[in-house]
Amino acid sequence: MLRENNPRTFFFLSLFFVLFVLFLYGPTITITILSFQGPTGGLVFPMRGTSLHWFGQVFQAQSIGDIHGSFFRSIQLGLIVTVLTMVLSFLAGLAFRYRFRGSGFLFYVVVASLIMPSVVVSLGIGSLFELLGIERFWWNAGLGAHLTWTLPFGLLIMFAVFNRFDKRLEEAARDLGASGVQTVRYVILPIVASSLIGVGLFGFTLSYDELARSSQAMGALNTLPLELQAMQTNATTPVIYALGTMTTALSLSVIGVCLGTVLLLQRRQARKGSDAGKGTV
Amino acid sequence: MATTFWRLFDRSGGASRRDFLKSATTLAGGAAAASTLGAPYVHAQEPITLRYAGTGVNAFKELADKCKEDTGITIQYTTLTSDDVVKRAVTQPSSFDMLDSEYWMLKKIIPSGNLRGMDVKKVKEYDKIVPIFTKGQLPDGSQTTRVGIAPIKVSYLPEAESTEFVEEPTGFMTLIPTVYNADTLGIRPDLIGRPIESWAELVNPEFKGKASILNVPAIGIMDAGQVAQAVGIVKYGDMGNMTKQEIDKTIAFLIETKKAGQFRGLWKEFNESVNWMASGETVIQSMWSPAITKVRQQGIPCVYQPLKEGYRAWAAGLGIPTHVEGRTLDACYEFVNWFLSGWAGAFLNRQGYYTAVLDTAKENMTADEWGYWMEGKPCVEAIKSPTGEELAKPGEIRDGGSFYERMGNVTVWNTVMDEDRYMVRKWNEFVAA
Amino acid sequence: MSAQPISVPIVSETAVPAAAANAARFGGGLVPYLLVAPLAAVFLLFFLIPMLLVIVVSFFNYESYQILIPDFTFQNYLDVFGEAVTWQTYLTTFKYCLIVWVLTFAIGFTVAYYLAFYVRTLTWQMVLFLVCTVPFWTSNVIRMISWIPLLGRNGVVNETLMALGIVDQPQEWLLYSDFSVILGFVHLFTVFMVVPIFNSMVRIDKSLIEAARDGGASEWATIKHVILPLCRPGIAIGSIFVLTIVMGDFVTVTVLGGGLVASVGKSIATELNYLQFPPAAANAMVLLTIVILMMVGLSRIVDVRKEL
Repeated sequence: MLRENNPRTFFFLSLFFVLFVLFLYGPTITITILSFQGPTGGLVFPMRGTSLHWFGQVFQAQSIGDIHGSFFRSIQLGLIVTVLTMVLSFLAGLAFRYRFRGSGFLFYVVVASLIMPSVVVSLGIGSLFELLGIERFWWNAGLGAHLTWTLPFGLLIMFAVFNRFDKRLEEAARDLGASGVQTVRYVILPIVASSLIGVGLFGFTLSYDELARSSQAMGALNTLPLELQAMQTNATTPVIYALGTMTTALSLSVIGVCLGTVLLLQRRQARKGSDAGKGTV
Repeated sequence: MATTFWRLFDRSGGASRRDFLKSATTLAGGAAAASTLGAPYVHAQEPITLRYAGTGVNAFKELADKCKEDTGITIQYTTLTSDDVVKRAVTQPSSFDMLDSEYWMLKKIIPSGNLRGMDVKKVKEYDKIVPIFTKGQLPDGSQTTRVGIAPIKVSYLPEAESTEFVEEPTGFMTLIPTVYNADTLGIRPDLIGRPIESWAELVNPEFKGKASILNVPAIGIMDAGQVAQAVGIVKYGDMGNMTKQEIDKTIAFLIETKKAGQFRGLWKEFNESVNWMASGETVIQSMWSPAITKVRQQGIPCVYQPLKEGYRAWAAGLGIPTHVEGRTLDACYEFVNWFLSGWAGAFLNRQGYYTAVLDTAKENMTADEWGYWMEGKPCVEAIKSPTGEELAKPGEIRDGGSFYERMGNVTVWNTVMDEDRYMVRKWNEFVAA
Repeated sequence: MSAQPISVPIVSETAVPAAAANAARFGGGLVPYLLVAPLAAVFLLFFLIPMLLVIVVSFFNYESYQILIPDFTFQNYLDVFGEAVTWQTYLTTFKYCLIVWVLTFAIGFTVAYYLAFYVRTLTWQMVLFLVCTVPFWTSNVIRMISWIPLLGRNGVVNETLMALGIVDQPQEWLLYSDFSVILGFVHLFTVFMVVPIFNSMVRIDKSLIEAARDGGASEWATIKHVILPLCRPGIAIGSIFVLTIVMGDFVTVTVLGGGLVASVGKSIATELNYLQFPPAAANAMVLLTIVILMMVGLSRIVDVRKEL
């Protein structure tokens, strides 16, 4: 389609992209270097020797802070938030394609949830649960707090996805006798599937990293960012850098393996002469 | 108006919401029953867990493990930033069973009615608690300063449930003290290269862009006050309770200093102060004792510099929220008693803090350790932290010397002023300037 | 993240079909209400009701040691408007908003354009998006600390600059300055711009672009006259993300401002931390009103809901 694209433009845009990625990885690179601090080193330069000491420490119980427990809570919460964000945003995205009473109000409520400083939202949720006498956990108040943060992103991205979405596709499906559910299942969903995965990815990242909105809503057990933040009230060691380095390394290798598998499969399919799996982009 | 918003909604005849809900599931009776029966969900042999909310200052795994071993009580820490501790205490008391709070925070927490006065008769070592908390004196009988919120001002309640303080000992303590300390400036002697003797040095243009102050208004304003007084800008009537004019002058002084580029930043959490000092971003700043230790452990010279104008002190303690009842309440007292029985005290003393009951801590430390930490003597063997890192080489003495030299030279305590509302607004102006 | 893996031939939509007419045809009855109910319920429970509490509190009074005194006073609002510091923080915040918006838009649009039009397969688009996401899976708390060894006096950047002989002494404006705050925002929020713009771009009918090309339009002219106008909703959504979060942020400002910079969000956070709930609530309401007005203004230019 854009095959005739200017190779020079391609080069400069690629360079721009690489620089952008490098910028995104700036802190990550520093974290990686410093995670090899010697056993007596701290969180900043100078390096006090190099060692793998802190990587070993990740698997030990820390004197201050419960990294393991909070890590698994964060992962669980992140996954639940991911699924709910995908489903709820998709449904609401469909709804917003109709005119319905209160749609304007709801839209501004969703935007307001982005604007309101998270500490205020968090305090509001925490206090509400206190007034109602409900004990807070990560899976009730905490989950709600995270959804007020991820859903605005999910919904608005769905807006971008449904933007100028060709309604004739659905009409064609209906004309062929498909029910509403069938239309969604066989026409809309396949088209927006990859975007939905994107929404899920967004949801997970936002939830996994959420701090301010969680602060008063989690009850007695912290999520990872909260625990790490609280650990700042005492001396913290490069063990948190080692955790960061391991997260990054693991994520990158998972992506690498997946990519390799996909490319391998595509090559096999190409050899077989099938055109399935080819994108249209 | 003595009732607060939260109180308006919170209580139903003394039963806490949490107990209410738990009992409502087992009893059809509801709220009234909950308050009379206490905690109907208790089973005799069930192991007990206490939810302990506080900052990371005392939340050591070693303490929880030892406590479990000695008493069978499981301590579940909810570690929070210092800001969140106060917010939790005031707005969500049902989310914890024990609160580890600083004394100045009590001025804000007690009026909410969320803490219960602790019955001193149930505290075994009560008589041995350092008289700083019970009489406003050091163990040798000398008076401690009352500038700021000296613990004695907020240690006692007239009765178990009260929203006001009394300055005389009664049978009910707001908090049972855990740790306290005398704070001063931390410096990098290698980068400064000359003796530092006064708080005034913090604003010396020699350290332009390399100084820092603490961005917690209640504490930072006191450091600023020490500096302003040392420089001669302001003469305070009562530094712990400044008038509006004094606040104006102090903040104006801070803004002027900030605009001149004196401050590298304003630090907020403990770890930040360690990182700034270790990386050389700052060479002189407000600091806490264990932070100095942490910098030194990285092989970087750092001194907790005693100053001629004296120290700023703080104290923290354990409180019990009003909703705790029955067996949980007993467990809270058991934990407090365990905490004061020596092992924990020795552990915290070795962090560079002071502990509430000195006698029992002493029994759990070697004579050499006691000499180094408490008496200002050079240590014979290397001094180690509770987690085994070396803190001092043989022959070194502690910065600032003995307990009496340090706690005896305290001139102010962390504070919440009568003009707190005004002060925080002005502090915001300083940050925004 | 998105492409159109479909075999149904898409008829080019040179003129966007009248959305209203379409919507009317899809009429809906109860359907949209049912679809939106779960999302609405979440916001009702976890946002609207808690915020009602906040609004009530914003009219309360308070004293030094008495945190909430039920009352109906406008004093907190008067305080908000009556103080120089309020105007100053709003000014700073608007300044950040504007600069960050320009930067994230410029970078975000370029990156999205590259991903949508130069990266040809869905697989590679996915991979590159993931690569951009991975840094955010290391907690922000950890990343925030790492700015010190990166940009600090003895940090990586300064050491590199000095080793290269570009500067002869450490540059201190790199950290704890307006520069570092803006850098932090751009670092965190460019992705929020990329994703919606990208999603808008892949919806553009490729035949439109080819038509423009065939008609002799340069790449730049194609961007300006075809892509940019058709991406408006994506840009609007990205802008909503960036503007709203920067307006309410306090974490980035606190950490990368070194505590020396105050934004509106930070002032509110400070007031909350010192339990001055009523003025914090009032301040939050003022912030909300102002930003909502900004959004209403934005929707005058691009109504993201109309083009669904």
